[in-house]
Amino acid sequence: MATIETSSPGEAGAVSRLQVQSPVFSRGRYIAGLMSILAGLALWEFLSRVVVANALFLAAPTQIFAAIYNLAITGQLWPHITISAAEFAIGYVIASLLGIGIGFAMASSEVGKKILQPWIAGLYATPTIALAPLFILWLGIGIWSKVLVVIFLVLFPVTINTEAGLRTTSARLTEMLRSFGATPWQIFFKLSLPSAVPFILAGLKLGIGRGLIGVVVAELFGSRAGLGRLISQSADAFNMPELFAGVVILAVAGIVMTAGFTRLERMVVPWTRD
Amino acid sequence: MAKLALTGLTKRFGDLEVLHEINIAIERGAFISLVGPSGCGKTTLLRIVAGLEPASAGAVLLDGRTVRAPGGDRGFVFQSDNLLPWRTVFDNAIIGPEIAGRTGAEEKNRIRDLLRLVGLEGFENYFPRQLSGGMRQRVNLARALAIDPDILLMDEPFSALDAQTREIMQTELMRIWEEGRKTVLFVTHQIDEAAFLSDRVLVLARRPGRIREDIDIALSRPRALAVKRASEFVAYVDRIWRLIEDDVRASVIEEHP
Repeated sequence: MATIETSSPGEAGAVSRLQVQSPVFSRGRYIAGLMSILAGLALWEFLSRVVVANALFLAAPTQIFAAIYNLAITGQLWPHITISAAEFAIGYVIASLLGIGIGFAMASSEVGKKILQPWIAGLYATPTIALAPLFILWLGIGIWSKVLVVIFLVLFPVTINTEAGLRTTSARLTEMLRSFGATPWQIFFKLSLPSAVPFILAGLKLGIGRGLIGVVVAELFGSRAGLGRLISQSADAFNMPELFAGVVILAVAGIVMTAGFTRLERMVVPWTRD
Repeated sequence: MAKLALTGLTKRFGDLEVLHEINIAIERGAFISLVGPSGCGKTTLLRIVAGLEPASAGAVLLDGRTVRAPGGDRGFVFQSDNLLPWRTVFDNAIIGPEIAGRTGAEEKNRIRDLLRLVGLEGFENYFPRQLSGGMRQRVNLARALAIDPDILLMDEPFSALDAQTREIMQTELMRIWEEGRKTVLFVTHQIDEAAFLSDRVLVLARRPGRIREDIDIALSRPRALAVKRASEFVAYVDRIWRLIEDDVRASVIEEHP
């Protein structure tokens, strides 16, 4: 850590957080994580090939990666990924915009909140994924039924977090702005909005996992293509390596997107780290 | 005419009378402290002068005009620094002018000069979380000075700092005040802080809050920290302490029964 000298002896100790971790420490942690993953994969390989030793029940990591490779070079994988990705992306973007908008409406008007609150709270608690068969009846087995499921799953955490973020504006900071004669609009833009950003980002992050679940489960109920479709097809054919291939790709997508979001949070709202 | 005058200022929260007919007249350029035990209403008084709280009766007159709302003629220095964590030191300091719609080059130069004055040169682009408590309070002070107020209202600004930093900040405040000689109304519960900084110390009594005594501090300026060991200084502190001792005991018993 770098300590900055100040002109006054009584208050040294302003600390720069630019170098929080020493490189050695972070490399050590990185290696520990990598070792853990490798050890887990080795154990899985052993259980699959030696203990279970039944291709109908469990696939080994090497078999899964081989399946992913084969699906990729035969061109079967790409359509599944693009379809699922499109369903996720369209639903996620719509839900995010809508969620932030509704959150704003609820935070800015007491009446709006009273009208929307019971619906938002109720639908958030409802396992709306159970409505997927209904959406398929309405919209067919194409992508739009899945988009709707994703919207339902992503919308509510984003809405609730946006609303909470805008409402938990610090009273002390509001008073500070008021002492300078700030108008309600200025308080909103200079204080409420920036202090809600970490909440909104947390809601969006929560939406990633829920959106992915929505895509897969909706596809399981009925679809022509997609990673959920790949998984259900493979299950019907007792093709464990391909079933796991679908799961692994989804897991990687979830991990990468969530990690990307964490990085984004560090860049956009660095003050929430401490 | 007094720069700031409080006439018959009374504040009630429901049935509880917090301030009872306060009358104060403060001349331009004076440094006045309000000292009293907790619960004497000193912070409430400051908030009423700032326009953050309405008075139940009486008036606050600034240059003879009644004030009811916050305004650019009064700069408030808060007890907790109340800095916006997503803004740099510079952007925090300029918030007052920014709210008033002044963000030109001239204004920015003025803010830079102010940050130099409060000892924060080179820290303009730091974020609050990178600063110590004392430095945050310097930003708090610079932010209030940035609107070039007629009166500085300071609400126990050093109470969260450790004892050594507090002493340094007191001398720093003196140095900064000598530069501009703004009228200052300073609330504190530190008797020696009040005596060290002030031209006059108003001692408040509690339940309801009222002025018990108005003491002129006739120590020459500029004052060095060493003055705190002078016998005259000790006599002032002693006198103020004796005035509020019973009240402080009562409030301690009330808070820790």
